Amino acid sequence: MLEFSGWSMPLWYTAGAVAEHQIVIAGAGVFDTSHMSAIMINGPEAFDLLQRCFTKDLNACVSKSKTPLVPGRCVYGAYLNEMGEVLDDAIVYQVAQGNYTTIVNAGMGATVSQHLKAHAAGLEVDVTDLTDKVGKMDIQGPLSARVLMKVLKSPEATLKDMAYFSFKGHFDEKSVAANTFVHGTIPVLLSRSGYTGEFGFEIFVDPSQLVRVWEAVLEAGASYGVIPCGLAARDSLRTGAVMPLSHQDIGPCPFINHPWPFALPYSTDETAFTKRFIGDRILKLRETAEHTHPFVGYDPRKVSVHDPAVVLDSDGEQIGVVLTCVADMAIGRVGDRIYSIASPDKPEGFQPRGLCCGFVRVKSRLSQGQEVELSDNRRKIRVVIVDDIRPHRTARRLIDEMMYDTNSYGDGRHNET
Amino acid sequence: MKEIDEVNLPENFRYVETHEWARIAGDTVIVGITDYAQDHLGDLTFIELPQVGDVFQKGEQCGTLESTKAVSDIFMPVSGEILAVNGALLDSPGLVNSDPYGDGWLLELKPENYEEIDALLTAEAYREMLGGLE
Repeated sequence: MLEFSGWSMPLWYTAGAVAEHQIVIAGAGVFDTSHMSAIMINGPEAFDLLQRCFTKDLNACVSKSKTPLVPGRCVYGAYLNEMGEVLDDAIVYQVAQGNYTTIVNAGMGATVSQHLKAHAAGLEVDVTDLTDKVGKMDIQGPLSARVLMKVLKSPEATLKDMAYFSFKGHFDEKSVAANTFVHGTIPVLLSRSGYTGEFGFEIFVDPSQLVRVWEAVLEAGASYGVIPCGLAARDSLRTGAVMPLSHQDIGPCPFINHPWPFALPYSTDETAFTKRFIGDRILKLRETAEHTHPFVGYDPRKVSVHDPAVVLDSDGEQIGVVLTCVADMAIGRVGDRIYSIASPDKPEGFQPRGLCCGFVRVKSRLSQGQEVELSDNRRKIRVVIVDDIRPHRTARRLIDEMMYDTNSYGDGRHNET
Repeated sequence: MKEIDEVNLPENFRYVETHEWARIAGDTVIVGITDYAQDHLGDLTFIELPQVGDVFQKGEQCGTLESTKAVSDIFMPVSGEILAVNGALLDSPGLVNSDPYGDGWLLELKPENYEEIDALLTAEAYREMLGGLE
């Protein structure tokens, strides 16, 4: 068990972290994520408060065509301070007109609520911190929809055509949006999103009903090999999917020059922001800021970011620090390519030994393919700066191909754009 | 994690405070890590072992165990020369988790003096020590 922001969380369950990581890529696994906090932002000017505080332009943020946020859709971004530093990253759900819910990280409900209230002067809006009042579990992996087909009320109507970063229902039975149920009567907010890079869902529910939903999903998933997964697999899956951990990869540092430009309100050509927001002035001075890059190594050997670990250039000069370093145990190198256990064109008999991967923050921009050395008190390892880590992820697969046993899901050709 | 009384500790093995085991096999000693150690480290992902012919003193670091969680050192339970290492662990480090006292052995050494072996912990003494760690 690990102490994590006041929550006691298992690093792994009985299957072990490697099996848990791999099942999410090849099957499905469930995560207890009740440590996340929810905040409700309601009122005629809730939109204006989010435009002021959240890094996405809610008028231009849905899919590649950048259409406005509408009820039933959600978007990923961050809350920044005036220095352009990250208070926390978050997802904003539009429940209805003037009715939003934002999900922030463990222990951040009070901080982000206070930040929102502090910037709500003159706006007609209520901010309500729901910390410890919402239970949450995730089911992640290509078989997730098949499992949910067995526990949802009206499963086909609920899941059909459900887009990546859309949601159905609400965890509050009194909400106007409460129309999605597990076990017939338990209201849930079912969000097609997650923190693994794989196809799947986040399920928000009243804490009193969480255990029932958890058990129902595990029971329905038993025939699909679904197992509970711990914090270690969650960390390695999200890293392989190039997703940041708040307060580790992003935090007290200007939120710019990183692999997550989609979290900022860029114009289509990424030269300007389409709105003003708190922290934007500093971000526009991007030339002065440091750069965050993903990297991948040659075997599973890691450096310890707690040592701390530093980045060395070819002359042995220290050019930055290591933010995250884990092993993605579902990928391996064959020749000059990286394959995943989910790669449709993987070599016969492919049995990956895993690759170390993570994020570095360096003084000046590095180019893709550039090799650097990471060093801690124990060892030095060679890694390559990359744009992406684990190939053939399933997060964006078309859901209608993922709902029934008869359909294939492994060829990776039918992604949403 | 296993409870202390669930940890498998074969009676005929000897143990070290740093969670290695040693088994006397004729005039050599086989070395691995205990069930307690593998349970706490979690899935092993990579193991670095010494070269055959290397000589280490008791307590010296002679390799590393990489788990999904962290990197840990392997310490020599007694002084001696490395006679063999378990090459199967290169492709299958998980053998240490699944069979820590059998196929998951780490190395074989030629001890310098047998008094060091006599001074190692018995299963009973090691289990007692584990009880104090919890």
